[in-house]
Amino acid sequence: MKKLNRRAYSVLLIALFIVLGLFTYVQRYLRDGDRWASYFSRLNSLSEGYVTDRNGVLLAAFTANDNRFNEDRSTRIANYHVTGDFWDRTGTGILTGFSRQLHSYSPITGMTQTKTVSLQLNVDSELNKKAYAALAERKGAVGVVNYRTGELICMVSSPAVDPTDNDPVAPEGVYINRLLSASFVPGSIFKLITAAAAIECVPTIWQRSFFCEGEEEIGGVLFHCPFEHYTNDFAGALANSCNIAFAKIAISVGQTEMVNHVRAYGFLDSHNLDGIPTAAGSYPIEFVGDPETGWSGIGQSTDLICPYSMLRFVSAIANDGLLAEPKLINDGQPTEKSILVNPETAKTMQQLMRNNVVTVYGDNRFPGLSVCGKTGTAEVGDGTDHAWFTGFLQDEEHPYAFIVFVEGGGGGLSVAVPIANTVLQAAVRRGTELDYS
Amino acid sequence: MQGEFFSYTLTASKGILLLLSVAILLRCLRSMLRERYDPETWAYLRYGKERFPVQHWEVIIGRAPDADVCIPLREVARTHAILRRSEKGEWRVFDVLGRGGVWVNSLFVDDDGVEVTDGDTLNLNGICLKFSDLSMQRREKLESKRSGVGRRYSPALTLLMLTAFQLFLLLQHSFFADTAYLPDIALGFCSLIVMEWSCFNAMRIINRSGFEIETLAFYLSSLGMSVAASSTPEDMYKQILLTLAGLVLFLLCGWWQRSLHRTARARIPVALGALLLLGINVVASDVVLGARNWLEFWGFSFQPSELVKVAYVYVGAATLDRLFRQRNLYVFIAFSAICVMALALIGDFGTALVFFVCFLVISFMRSGSVATVMLAVTGAVLAGFLAVSARPYIAQRFASWGHVWEDIYDTGFQQTRAMSAAAAGGLFGKGAGNGWLHSIFAANTDLVFGMICEELGLLIALCTVAAVILLAFFAVRSARTGRSAYYGIASCAAMSILLVQMALNVFGSMDILPFTGVTFPFVSRGGSSLLSCWMMMAFLKSADTRREASFAVRPGETISSVSDLEARREAKESARQAQKERRSRERAEKRGKGGSAQ
Repeated sequence: MKKLNRRAYSVLLIALFIVLGLFTYVQRYLRDGDRWASYFSRLNSLSEGYVTDRNGVLLAAFTANDNRFNEDRSTRIANYHVTGDFWDRTGTGILTGFSRQLHSYSPITGMTQTKTVSLQLNVDSELNKKAYAALAERKGAVGVVNYRTGELICMVSSPAVDPTDNDPVAPEGVYINRLLSASFVPGSIFKLITAAAAIECVPTIWQRSFFCEGEEEIGGVLFHCPFEHYTNDFAGALANSCNIAFAKIAISVGQTEMVNHVRAYGFLDSHNLDGIPTAAGSYPIEFVGDPETGWSGIGQSTDLICPYSMLRFVSAIANDGLLAEPKLINDGQPTEKSILVNPETAKTMQQLMRNNVVTVYGDNRFPGLSVCGKTGTAEVGDGTDHAWFTGFLQDEEHPYAFIVFVEGGGGGLSVAVPIANTVLQAAVRRGTELDYS
Repeated sequence: MQGEFFSYTLTASKGILLLLSVAILLRCLRSMLRERYDPETWAYLRYGKERFPVQHWEVIIGRAPDADVCIPLREVARTHAILRRSEKGEWRVFDVLGRGGVWVNSLFVDDDGVEVTDGDTLNLNGICLKFSDLSMQRREKLESKRSGVGRRYSPALTLLMLTAFQLFLLLQHSFFADTAYLPDIALGFCSLIVMEWSCFNAMRIINRSGFEIETLAFYLSSLGMSVAASSTPEDMYKQILLTLAGLVLFLLCGWWQRSLHRTARARIPVALGALLLLGINVVASDVVLGARNWLEFWGFSFQPSELVKVAYVYVGAATLDRLFRQRNLYVFIAFSAICVMALALIGDFGTALVFFVCFLVISFMRSGSVATVMLAVTGAVLAGFLAVSARPYIAQRFASWGHVWEDIYDTGFQQTRAMSAAAAGGLFGKGAGNGWLHSIFAANTDLVFGMICEELGLLIALCTVAAVILLAFFAVRSARTGRSAYYGIASCAAMSILLVQMALNVFGSMDILPFTGVTFPFVSRGGSSLLSCWMMMAFLKSADTRREASFAVRPGETISSVSDLEARREAKESARQAQKERRSRERAEKRGKGGSAQ
C-alpha cells in the first residue's frame, strides 16, 4: 500500500497543472482584463446611457432591457462609424472609444458604471447622412471640422452597415473607419506639405520659375505630368499641381528638412481623438537620394497619410497656424490649442490655397462659397487612383476645414470636389439654420 | 432596488460570501489533512523480538523501504510476498515474482496463495515470521485508541457556515431575480439546506463523524444551484430533483462498496452495462454541437458518458486482482480502448481525453510503470493526430485556440464572451443573478467558470477550483491508509476524472486550452454530470478509513469461532501433506524417466 500511496501522487500532478494554469489565467486577467471587459461586458452592464448628436438627435441608447439606435435606417448607416455597434465589429465607434467615459474598470472591482451616462457629440448626424449619400457607397471618407473651435461636425466612412443588423452582408473593409484608422497614398495633396516646407526652407522660392514639358529626367529618373504646364511660378506650380516643379522643390528643401516638416505637422504620429487612436502615416526617413525625395515630395514613393492627419493640418493652416484639436464629444472641456504651423507660413498657405481654387478649379464649382483647397489624384500602382480634396472655407460664420477621400475613386477634381461641394453646402446651410458657430 | 442601502447590503454580502467560502475550505482542509491519520491495525508479524503491524488488507512484505512490512535482511527480496485479508477476515499470502520462495508452516506458496491463520509461520527464504491475528476484543481496543474525526474541527460548525453561505447567495438572488421565479429559487436553496442537514443527522445517528467530503460537495452544489438560478430559474425543480437523486446515488454507491467482495463480483456486469450504454449512445442520440452525446428522457437530457465515467473508475479499480498481478490488466486495457473509441465515434473528444487521463492514472497506480504510461501517451498522441485530421471541427478548435479574440463572432464566440464577463466581474463579482453571460449558449455548462467569475468574482471562482483540488488531496491522502488497493485506486481515479474535467472546463473557456465543452464538477448545470459527480464522491468515502468517519467503511470483522479455526488448520495440514506427496511423486517420476533414458 505504501507503493500505491507513492503512485497516488500522480493525481497531484494534474492538480499542479491546474494551479499553473490558474497562475497563467490570473496573470492574463491582470494584464488584459481591461481589454476583455471592454468588449461585451461594457454593453451588457450599462444600465442606462444615451448618445446624441450635436442637435440632440438620439444615435444610440442603452437601457436595462434594450439597446437601440436611431430609428431611421439611413441615419444609422451614415453614423455607423461614429457609434459602432453592440458587437464591437468596428474598433473605433463611440461604444469602444468612449468606454472610459461610460464605465470604469479595475481588476479588483471589475467593470463598474460611472455617473456619466449621457454623451453629446459634436457631429451632425444629418450632415453625416448627406456626406454618406454623396459618397454613394464608394469606399471613402469625409471629415469636416470647425477650425476655430475644433468641433468635428462630420465624420463619415463609406461603405457602412446598419448597426442593428447582427449579420450584415459586409463588403471588405467595411469595419475600418477610413477617416481615422487607415493611411493611404496621398498624391498631390501632399504638395501642401512640400509647399509649406519650401516657404520656410527655400528663401528664393518666390523668385524661382518652373518650366514643364510634360516630362523631365531628374537625377536619372523620369518624372511626368499629365500634360505640359509650361512656365509657372511657385503659386502657379501648386495651383496646376505640377509634379516636375514640386519634385524639384522637394529636392531643394532636402530630405532632412522634408522629414522634419512631415514630422512636425504630425503626419507620422498616431493622434488621439477623444480616446480613439488614429492611424500613423509614413514617409521615407532613411536616406533615399534626390529622385526619391522628389517622388516623396509629390506624395508618391512610400508616402502614406491618414486623412485625419491632413484634416488637422489644413485646419491649423485655416486658423493661422493655431490648431484647435478636433473633438468628437461635446464634454464642455475647453479645446486644446497649439501652434502646428508657423503663423506666417499658414497665412501664406491660405493665399496659395485660395489661389488654387480661383485660378484653376474655379469658384463656380462651389456656388456661394469661398473655398481654399488642394486636390489630389494619387497613383496607387494598380491602375486606380485615389481621389482627394482637402481645404477650408474662408468664412467667419462657417469656419470649416474639410477632407474628402475616395479610395480608387479617380481624379480629385472630378470625383472628390463635387462631394466636397455637396457636403460644404449642406454644412453652411445647416450651420446658418441651427446657428453652429 | 437601487439606493444606498441596497448597494451597502450587496457589497457586504459579497464580502461575507468570500469569507465564508475561505472559512469552509480552510476548515475542511485542516480537518482532512491536518488531523492525525492513525492507520488501522489488523494483525502482527513477529520476527524475533520485533513486531511489525499489518495495517492494511493488502500489504507488501519485503526488504525495500517502501514495502509495508519492511524487513531489512538480505535473504528477503525487495518485494517478496503479499499478505491479503478478505472481508471475512481470512488472510492469504502470495509470492511475488517468485524470488526466494515463501512457505507457510513448510507448505510451499504458489501463485494461488495459501491461507494464513493465527500462529502460522511465514517462511521467506529462510526468514521466519510468526503471524498473529487480532481477536475482536483486541481490535476494538486498538480501534478505540485511534483518533477520531471532527473533534478539533466540528463538522456541524462548518455545515452551519455553508448554510449561511447558501442563505447569502439566496439574498443576492433576491435582489436581481425576476420576482416570479423567486419562490422557486428560494425553494432550491432551502431544499439544499434540508438535504445537507438531513444527511448530516443521518450520519450522526449511525455514528459516523467524517463530513468533509459531503460539505465540499454541497458547497460546490450550492454554486451549481446559483448558476441554475441565474440561467434557468424556470427549471429549478429539475436541479433540486437531480441533487436529491445524486445524494441518494452517493449513499447507495457508498453502501455498495462497503463490501469489497460484492464490489469485485459486480465488475463484469458493470463493465457490460457501461458498454451497453455507450452502444446505445453511438446508435441513437442527438447531435449537439458536433458531439452526439445526448439522450432525451421526459424533458431531462441525459448524457450516458457521464455514468460510464463512474463505471469506468469502478471497473478499472475492481479488475485489479491484487498488486503485481497482471492477469486482468489486459481486460481493463481492452475495456478502456472500447470506451475511448466509442467516445471518439460519438465525437465527444473532451470526455475521451478525461477517460484517457483516468486510464493513465489507473494503469500507473496498478503497474507503477512509467514506461507503460509513456507508451500509452505516445499512442494517444498519434491517435489524436488521426482524430484531428479525420474530424475537421476539432482541428478548427485547435486552430482558434489562443486566437479567440481574432474571431469573436464564430470560433471564439463563446470563449471571448466568457472571458469578457469574467473580467467584468472583478475579484468580488457583480452579485449572484446579476450577470449577462447566462444568456450565451452553454453558459451554465461549458462556460460556467466565466459565470461564477462574473457573478461571484474571481476569488470565489478560485475557491471553487480549490474545493475540487482539496478533494483530490484527500483522495491521495486516503490511499495511504486505505484497506485495499481497490479503494485507493478508485478514489484517486475518480478525482483524476474530476480534476481533468475541471481543467478542461476552466482553461477551455478561458482560452488556455482548446475549448472541448466538458462540465465543471457539481457546478455545471446538467443532470447526468451532477449524478456522476455525487457517485464519484462515494469512491472517496469508501477510502476514508479514519475511525468511525465514513458510512461507506464497515468496521472490520474477525474470525472468532475457534472450531472454525481448527477446521481450517486441519485443511491446511492436509493440503501440506498432499503437496508433499505430489512432490515426492514428481521426484520419483523424474528419477524413473532419467533411468529409462540411460
